[in-house]
Amino acid sequence: MAAQAEPVLSAERIRKAFGGLEVLSDLSLNAYAGESLALIGPNGAGKTTLFNIIAGAMRASGGRIMFEGRDITRLRPHQRCHLGIARTFQISQPFVDLTVLENVEVAQRFGRLGRDRSGASAGHWLERVGLARWRDAPASSLTLGARKKLELARALATEPRVILLDEVMGGLSPEEVDEVCAIIRELRNEHMAIVIVEHVMRAVMSVADRIVVLHQGRLIADGLPREVASRPEVIEAYLGGALDDAAAG
Amino acid sequence: MDMPLPLIIAQIINGLIAGSMYALFASGLTLIWGTMKMLNFAHGEFFMLGGYLVYYFYAVLGLNPAIAALLAVGIVFVLGMLIERVVIQHLLSSPVWQLSTIIATLGISIFLQNVALHIWGPDFQNVPYFINGVANIFGIRIAYQRLLIFGVSVVSISLMWFLLKHTRFGLALRATSQDSDAAQLYGVNVLAVYTLTFGISAALAALAAVMLSPIMGVNPYMGLSPLLKGFVVVILGGLGSFSGAILGGLMLGVIESLGVLYTSTEWGDVIAFGFLVLIIWVRPWGLLGVEERN
Repeated sequence: MAAQAEPVLSAERIRKAFGGLEVLSDLSLNAYAGESLALIGPNGAGKTTLFNIIAGAMRASGGRIMFEGRDITRLRPHQRCHLGIARTFQISQPFVDLTVLENVEVAQRFGRLGRDRSGASAGHWLERVGLARWRDAPASSLTLGARKKLELARALATEPRVILLDEVMGGLSPEEVDEVCAIIRELRNEHMAIVIVEHVMRAVMSVADRIVVLHQGRLIADGLPREVASRPEVIEAYLGGALDDAAAG
Repeated sequence: MDMPLPLIIAQIINGLIAGSMYALFASGLTLIWGTMKMLNFAHGEFFMLGGYLVYYFYAVLGLNPAIAALLAVGIVFVLGMLIERVVIQHLLSSPVWQLSTIIATLGISIFLQNVALHIWGPDFQNVPYFINGVANIFGIRIAYQRLLIFGVSVVSISLMWFLLKHTRFGLALRATSQDSDAAQLYGVNVLAVYTLTFGISAALAALAAVMLSPIMGVNPYMGLSPLLKGFVVVILGGLGSFSGAILGGLMLGVIESLGVLYTSTEWGDVIAFGFLVLIIWVRPWGLLGVEERN
């Protein structure tokens, strides 16, 4: 569980500007196998933008992305997926005309192990997130909570080494949050590198091995959850009482 | 005006046969719309090239019609992929791609017409029937060529359906149609899907022309009328809907050929477009399309 010497994924001095507005400035971040890293910060801090840049949906204005020692800054999104980078979307967007199973099949058949079909079946991933009985339902019929789980199943079905989870717990019931937290801990024990963006602080404090705080595109804190949570500047300036309560509770 | 029943039945059969060709042609158009969200104005010229290539391999070189057909369809398939890769793909990433792809495909259309004009001249060329003879089915006489047309379209539409529903490529295509950004993140090489889809679409147009050329003859402008009809069929069935294109094609064929019974041939287009207006009045999203809600 402790951080190993070599990171699986490194974002090195990432810069991103939209016109004159700089969203990320010189941001560096490492993700390690078997560690779950939570990325927190107020809305507009650049968390989702960073995920987009790592997954290849967006080009950075500067800096580079390294994956297992290889520069992947110029790779297209599907190539990054083949290497083992997966992400979920904050606003879940399943392929609505496909069934739940077919949604996962896309990821399973085109993901990292899709070619040689050595990975687990699409049905396996549905079971793991608890959606097995909806497998033949159209994805459009799922509730918000189920859609979030489908996002997770799809990302996992690509057999990633690094998974970026963008608010997978928003809109879930407390029981469902616990289920997802349990899955995240299992994945960590299977040596996956996990990066979480999450507003549900109870979940963050429960699964994160390390927390980094982003503010206005800069990294302002990096450390163990309780240590970061107790820093007065983090609490007062960016998180209000929420983190304090969660840390205390 | 009383029509004898056998005549009506014969016209319905003729309509289904013609309609199966509309369906083949239009399914290529709708496939492109569904996946790439663009209109392909060069679709008629892929049709035209299919006609000229089968004319060349079969009527001029005297090859076996099946081999000539395969060669014609295969060449247009490769040409379609090449055009997508060289011209279309670059435009899709530009911010005004809706307009630029229309202009580019119009340009390709004019270019290909003139290539045909230059090589083969402006005159109609005849292509002999692939099979001669007439079948007599319950007293209704149908040329074997027409039965062959229907058979080929049933087989190729079934193959397309299988491709879309039961293959890895079909899954990639359906995922790409719905959300190309998400499809990429789950490992689908969207640009390769576009290239292959464009090639398949062009091949479907070429196949329709191969089958129809013995009946219609070939000339450089033979793609214009099918393109208009193709758009009618695609809108009728619902933009981007594969089964909609099949249904729309068959309906248009039957309506046209029944219309001929009661009016003259010149009224065929009037009936076809009148029918389109009527349908989109009631269902603006087409027969099998999905209503878009905001």
